[in-house]
Amino acid sequence: MELSLDFGYLVEITPELLTFIPLTLFLAVISMIFSIIGGLILALIVRSNIPVLKQLATIYISFFRAIPTLVQLFLIYYGLPQIFPAFTAMTAITAAILGLSLKQSAFLAEIFRAALNSVDKGQVEACLSVGMTKAQAYRRIVFPQAMRNAIPASSNVFIGLIKETSLAFTLGVVELFAQGKILAASSLKFFETYLALALLYWIMIIVFTFIQQALEKRMEKPYIS
Amino acid sequence: MITVTNLKKRFGENIVLNGIDLHVNRGDVLAIIGPSGSGKSTLLRCLNLLEMPDEGIIEIGETKVDVTKMSRKETHLLRQETAMVFQNYNLFKNKTALQNVTESLIVAKKMDKQEAERIGKELLVKVGLKDKIHQYPATLSGGQQQRVGIARALAVNPHAILFDEPTSALDPEWVSEVLQVIKNIAEQNTTMIIVTHEMKFAEEVANRVIFMADGNIVEENEPKEIFHNPKNQRTKQFLKTLERDE
Repeated sequence: MELSLDFGYLVEITPELLTFIPLTLFLAVISMIFSIIGGLILALIVRSNIPVLKQLATIYISFFRAIPTLVQLFLIYYGLPQIFPAFTAMTAITAAILGLSLKQSAFLAEIFRAALNSVDKGQVEACLSVGMTKAQAYRRIVFPQAMRNAIPASSNVFIGLIKETSLAFTLGVVELFAQGKILAASSLKFFETYLALALLYWIMIIVFTFIQQALEKRMEKPYIS
Repeated sequence: MITVTNLKKRFGENIVLNGIDLHVNRGDVLAIIGPSGSGKSTLLRCLNLLEMPDEGIIEIGETKVDVTKMSRKETHLLRQETAMVFQNYNLFKNKTALQNVTESLIVAKKMDKQEAERIGKELLVKVGLKDKIHQYPATLSGGQQQRVGIARALAVNPHAILFDEPTSALDPEWVSEVLQVIKNIAEQNTTMIIVTHEMKFAEEVANRVIFMADGNIVEENEPKEIFHNPKNQRTKQFLKTLERDE
């Protein structure tokens, strides 16, 4: 039997697939930004001990950590418009970003909470003792220190996000994976196409890992004795 | 001038401060001594509201507050009247020595960065850290870190500096350099309250000493009197125990 592997085809479709990388990165970066904001708010609420709000945040985290991303995307894109007609106008891309952000906010909230807890209480006390406000203490001292602790785990969340953007195809978004599917279906060269996709995701994540390492190295500088 | 009236603090069932009255004049160096658990650190931490007292009136400099009906603004104002030097230094770990000193000037006092750095460098020179200005706390010894802590407290030009056992966490080799820096500052007429276990140092540096036990001020006098001619039975006992340990 002849092994019919057409690497030429893999090379041939790569430029076309590359044009979809900006959309994938756009989905991942925008979702990450929203997740960071959401996660931070949730983490601060959980730490604050404000009654009712704290319970609501805890339920939110529990719920969005539990349900599969696909179920969540379908719930938002196909489910919500049935109850709230206003959501009919929502585009698939918006729904994907919304779904991914809601989910990763819950994961980041847990990471941020742990990172904030890891900052010594004495740091805030020192700020207050020299006349800074609590808000200034958090902005200038606590957040930067917590960030250092949060970066490795948060990077995993971002890597997860890059990969999960491929789920947007189920809502009809033509992104990297969807385009790969289209190409594979017309050429019937499934292995070559999906291998090309796999390599592209891999490269994206390798590049991001470099950025992460550089960031970690920079953040680590004050702590090396 | 610092005046504290009927200051009370309890942790659950445990009464830590049992109605403290205290008066400190400008330029005073007050040492607070006493067994662990006597409430001396809590008293100090109540003065800048790191611990919230349950009752009492605190007046420091221009600010006078009744802790039972204190606004956020008043809390902030009272805190700005003092600065604290901590047992564990609590230097900002993400900032260099210089940034530790200038942080409050730039952030809280909205001072021009260059002016803040000029003051910061001057203070670090004063505490003998001229060549460590741009180093991070992680690269400094305990004694050096505590001297940065002192410079940081001096920077805000506070009405009084509160020292919370400034040498208790130090390795013995670093204790004397820190005590020397504190002595130098005391000689410049800075109002200071020092909670300490260093009796010899307290005797040398303070012009008044308070002995605390069980949340009360048991005895208050000049250092010479307290250490060599204590009146109260508890004070005598406490000093005797220390002698035995030495």
